Order: sequence, then structure tokens, then C-alpha cells
Amino acid sequence: MSEAQPAPSILAAALAARLPDIASLQRELNAVDYLTDEGLATTLFLGVRMQRPILLEGEPGVGKTEAAKALARALDTPLIRLQCYEGIDASEALYEWNYPRQLLAIRLAETRGTHLDENEMFGDAYLIRRPLLQALEHPGPFPLVLLVDEVDRSDHDFEAFLFELLSDATITIPERGTIHATCPPIVILTSNRTRELHDALKRRCLYHWIDYPTPEREVEIVRRRVPHSGHDLAVQATAAVQRLRASDVQKPPGIAEAIDWVAALRLLGASTLDVAAAERTLGAVIKYREDEDLVRARGLPWLVGGEAGG
Amino acid sequence: MTDWDAAALVVTLSRALRGAGVPVTPDRSVVAAEALMVLRPQTRDQLYWAFRTSLVASHEQVAVFNRVFAALVDGIADPSDSRGDPNAPASVGAEPGPRRADQARLRSVESGGGDTASPWAGSAEESERSDDAGAEMVLAAASPHELLAGKSFDQLGPEELADLRRLMAMLTLSPPLRRSRRVRRSRRGDQLDVRTTLRRGIRAGDYPTRLAWRRRRMQPRRLVVICDVSGSMEPYARAYLQFLQCAVGGSNAEAFVFATRLTRLTRVMRKAPAAVAMQRAAKAAPDWSSGTRIGHALRTFNREYGSRGMARDAVVAILSDGWEVGDPREVGQEMARLKRLAYRVVWVNPHKASPHFAPLAGGMAAALPYCDAFASGHNLTAMREVAAAIAARR
Repeated sequence: MSEAQPAPSILAAALAARLPDIASLQRELNAVDYLTDEGLATTLFLGVRMQRPILLEGEPGVGKTEAAKALARALDTPLIRLQCYEGIDASEALYEWNYPRQLLAIRLAETRGTHLDENEMFGDAYLIRRPLLQALEHPGPFPLVLLVDEVDRSDHDFEAFLFELLSDATITIPERGTIHATCPPIVILTSNRTRELHDALKRRCLYHWIDYPTPEREVEIVRRRVPHSGHDLAVQATAAVQRLRASDVQKPPGIAEAIDWVAALRLLGASTLDVAAAERTLGAVIKYREDEDLVRARGLPWLVGGEAGG
Repeated sequence: MTDWDAAALVVTLSRALRGAGVPVTPDRSVVAAEALMVLRPQTRDQLYWAFRTSLVASHEQVAVFNRVFAALVDGIADPSDSRGDPNAPASVGAEPGPRRADQARLRSVESGGGDTASPWAGSAEESERSDDAGAEMVLAAASPHELLAGKSFDQLGPEELADLRRLMAMLTLSPPLRRSRRVRRSRRGDQLDVRTTLRRGIRAGDYPTRLAWRRRRMQPRRLVVICDVSGSMEPYARAYLQFLQCAVGGSNAEAFVFATRLTRLTRVMRKAPAAVAMQRAAKAAPDWSSGTRIGHALRTFNREYGSRGMARDAVVAILSDGWEVGDPREVGQEMARLKRLAYRVVWVNPHKASPHFAPLAGGMAAALPYCDAFASGHNLTAMREVAAAIAARR
């Protein structure tokens, strides 16, 4: 089967033609409203060009998942997402046979007096393709993006299995034989670090820690994502969000919260952030009761204006 | 930059990083070299990111990487990165950095240099000697061990500490089970396994007549041990570190220490001989024997690890005397939060056994309402009670 695989150099050449340098990648990400700094752009660029998996870590809400989605949009290629959870196994991630349907087919064949041979039994119609198999079977010519989200939630067994799969880009289905990826996917893994990933997996990946964006960039992100949000409102809300991150809140608001908040403020018709507007929309950025107590103790004027509160 | 230059730079940087404690394997160096070839970096920043993404494998390594990169590429050490770290190397390779001991691991560990004051450094030597002693000894069976079992940890001499390590290793730490999401086939299962039943039917070319059953797999809960190594806990630190190592021997356990700040020790202690683990622990947490900021440490834990999932449904054991230099209210707040996350919270305070003890230390009083169990753990017998508290169900 491996003859079907294009010579690596052909794929590499195609990738090089599509993405000649980091600046071009940054431009294309920018065109799909995803703003990156040089660090993340470098990692994404190298991941694509070197055909290596990318491991993204960072605080919740800094846009790890969004990075994968944006890369797929920027490259105009499909995105396949595998959300990991505890207990996920091959039948949920790779493939499974549709047993009820196979059984029905057998019964049907019997009542008709026909014969169902094995090739039909294990044909495409009875194979349920889960995300990993879909990603490996992608015909190309340009690789798709495979997002393995929150890989730290899966257990060690699954991680080892995933590692095997990523190393070889090959899987074996006993009834059908070995499937070799004709066009191996661009793989992005994200982790929230609830547990340490295995060294072997980490060694295979390019690594990037995504930090919160700078205030200027965050304003720009918010304005891109919330149409018609005025400059003042975006600047004020972003400054308030940064204040919250620097304070002792349990759940520091991420970029998503900043966007939600500005969207909520816009919906209520606010054009600047004042105490009354913050009061009505606090639930969009503060998600814990203790955090709300903390903010109220310091006073909403502190939040909206940065004055030292009580 | 010629390819030769690139290769030389990769090799030099990789070596310097290894010296500073970042485990750069040869295959990572190859990745870095490849990255340079693809990227052809023109600026310092491009060079920086190309190296960082290929040589760094976790957030904790970024600061060390920055220091080494700055020293090597810019020729200057960035003083802000080594702030508060008296052991930080001034320049790469010039002096043995704090993690040099890693390289010398299996050799006899000398407690020379600036680290001798560590209360943990001694234990490394002592336990080293006894590594190959017989392990068939039964916990507190023979009379010397009976003595040892009742002797308070702060009274132990060096030899007793060595014995203690072996005895401690026999403590079984088994947190209660919880239902896993994974299922396994079982004749006595309580759910019908439809897929297997149908598959058997197909194999037999017949109706599915033999029913298959399955049940949820049971799995031990995660155990998180957080140990206070501040000045007031010093007499107990060695014994408790051995307890920590015994804990991380389990497959699903995490270990932390704190005095003024929280340090995760799971990786440095796991899969290492006891002596090396102790030595590494002492190097990894530079703030031993200083003041205690329990509330701050707990907040760091909750924020960085606990609420991300580490403490969820886990058994959390905190080993501390509850002396807090900060605001005890913070201890209360963070304990409340921890209790909401965890399955059970066990507090181990070695002073509890003292007849004069009353939980009046500010931090202790604030923490107690949120503890599911309160144990003394001042000697080996009491440690068995700690093990029982860890194994208890809610």
C-alpha cells in the first residue's frame, strides 16, 4: 500500500510552495481573523513544513483550540477534531464495525436466499470511521489539520496508542489490512496539563506555550471578533480583563471571556465601560461567586477605571 | 549562517541546556537543526523561537531556556531570570549549577558546597548506604523496629532514618476506588454488552443467543501529597520526603512541597533511587526551611493544578504544622476551594500528638473545618494511620 504514498519530497515541496515563510503564514492567519505573535507563528510554520505534531499548552482561554481551527481555515483545508476524555479508546477514536447493520445484512441475505461474502461484510458500508481514521484516509493533495484536543484527559494507554499512530501514520484493521496515510495530517495536540504527558510523545512534538496576548493585540482581537465594537469600549474592557488577570481571581478571564463581555456590552448598547454597564454584564467575565465577591470588595470603579478600590 | 555553523550552534546549545537541567535528547537536537534549515532564521527572535519550539518540552523549562539562550547567543546572562535563585549559574558551564547533581546521579552523592545546610541533604547519604539491604523485613516486626515505630520523627538518628526509609516503603497507600468510564467484559457485569453480543452472533452466523455482560472498571483515585518543608517542619522533613517518594511510586500520584512557594516534585522523585530523589528534591525546591505561606501555596496549587483537574475526585493529603506567616483567612478560602474539588482532604500535623497541642496556629485553625481527616503522622505507627486515612471512603 505504501506505493500510494507520495514521495515525502513531493509533499514537502507542495508544503514549501504553499507556505514559503513565516510572514506568509502570519498574513493568512490574519486574513481569517486569527492574530498571532512570532512565537506561535514559528511553531505552526515549522509544524507544517517539518511535518511534525505540534503540542500547544497555555492557560485556559488563550486560544489553543482556536489556533488549530484558524490554521485549517488559513490553509483552506479540512479540520478534524478529536476531543479526548477519560476512557476514550480506539473504537471511539479510530474505527468501529457497525455490528447491528452487519447482522441485519446477514438476516436479509438469508431470507432472500443469497449469500453475503466476507468482503461485503467488512465493506465500507459497515465501517464507522472515527476522527483518526478519517484523518489518515484523507486523500490529499494537501494535508488536513487533525486537532487532538485536551490530550491530557485521556489515559496512558490511549496516549501510547496515539503516539504509535502519529509515528507511523499507519493503522491496521484486521479485517481489511493495513492503511497507510497517503497524505499524513498536520497534527495539533492541546493539553491543559492536568497530568504530565509521556516523554516519548513530547519528544516527538514541537512545543509552544501560548501566553496571554499583549494589551494592544487583545484589543485588536476583540475588535476583530465583535463587529461594531468601538475602539474605546474594546480598550476599556480589555484593560479591565487584564486587571482581573493580575488580581487574585480563581478563574482569570481568557480571550474568549473578553470577547463575550464586549459582545454583551454591545448588545446592551454600551459604548463605553462604566460602573452601571459592568454591573449588568459582570457574569460574562466572572464565573465564580468568590471571584464576584472579590471584585465587588475592590469595587466596580476599580474594575472599570483602574482606580484603587476599597 | 552556514549549515556547519547551525550544527555547531545546535550542539552547543543542547549541551548547555542539558547542563542546566533541561533534558534535551539527541533526537530533539536533530529537530532543532532541521528547524534551522527550514526556517533560515535572519533575526535573533527567529532563532530564539526556532530553538525554543524544538528544544523546550514544557512551560517550566522556558525560564531556564531563556537564561541559557541569552548567555550563549547574546553573551550576557539576563539577571532578571535568576532573581532569587542563589544557585543559578552566572554563565553557562562555568560552575556546577543547581541541577548538576542530576548528571552525577548514581555516584555517591556528596553533600558539599552550598547545599549542606539542607535538612534533606543528609538523608540522601544515609539512605544510599542501605539501598541493597533486604526488603523482606516486616513492618515493625522485630524489636528495634518496634522501637522505631513509636519514635517521633524529630528524634531519629541517621541510622534510624535509613531503616525508616525501608519501612516507609512498605506502607501501602491505596486511595479508594472510583468508577472509571472504561468498561470491561465481565460475566457478573450489570450492563448488557450489545456490541459483543451481536459480534458473537455474527461469528457464529446465528442469532445472538449468548449474552455478553460488562461492568464499569474500578480505578484508584489520584493521590496528591503536599508537604510543608518550611523551617518549623524541618525536623520532620526527611521522614516526610521519604513518605512523598513512597507516594509517587504509585502510578496515579502527585507530590508537591512548599515553604514560600509551591514546587511540583512528581517527576524528580519518580523512577529515581531514593538517595537521588532526595537530592533532586532538595535542588528543585530552593526555598526549604524558610517561612511558610500555606495559603499562597494552596492557592497556587488550586489555580495551576487543582482546578484544572488534578484535584478533582482525588484524595489530597497536606503535611504541615499549620504555622502561617501570611493571612490565615487565605488558608481558609483556599481550603474551602480545595474541599469542593477533592474527594477527601487529609491534614497531617506532627504536633497533633503533643499533649499540649491545640489547633490554634492561625493557619491550622482556619484549615480544620475543611479537613475530612486530621492525623498526627509524627512516627511510623502514626503514619499507618495516615495511610488508613488516605484509604478511607467518604
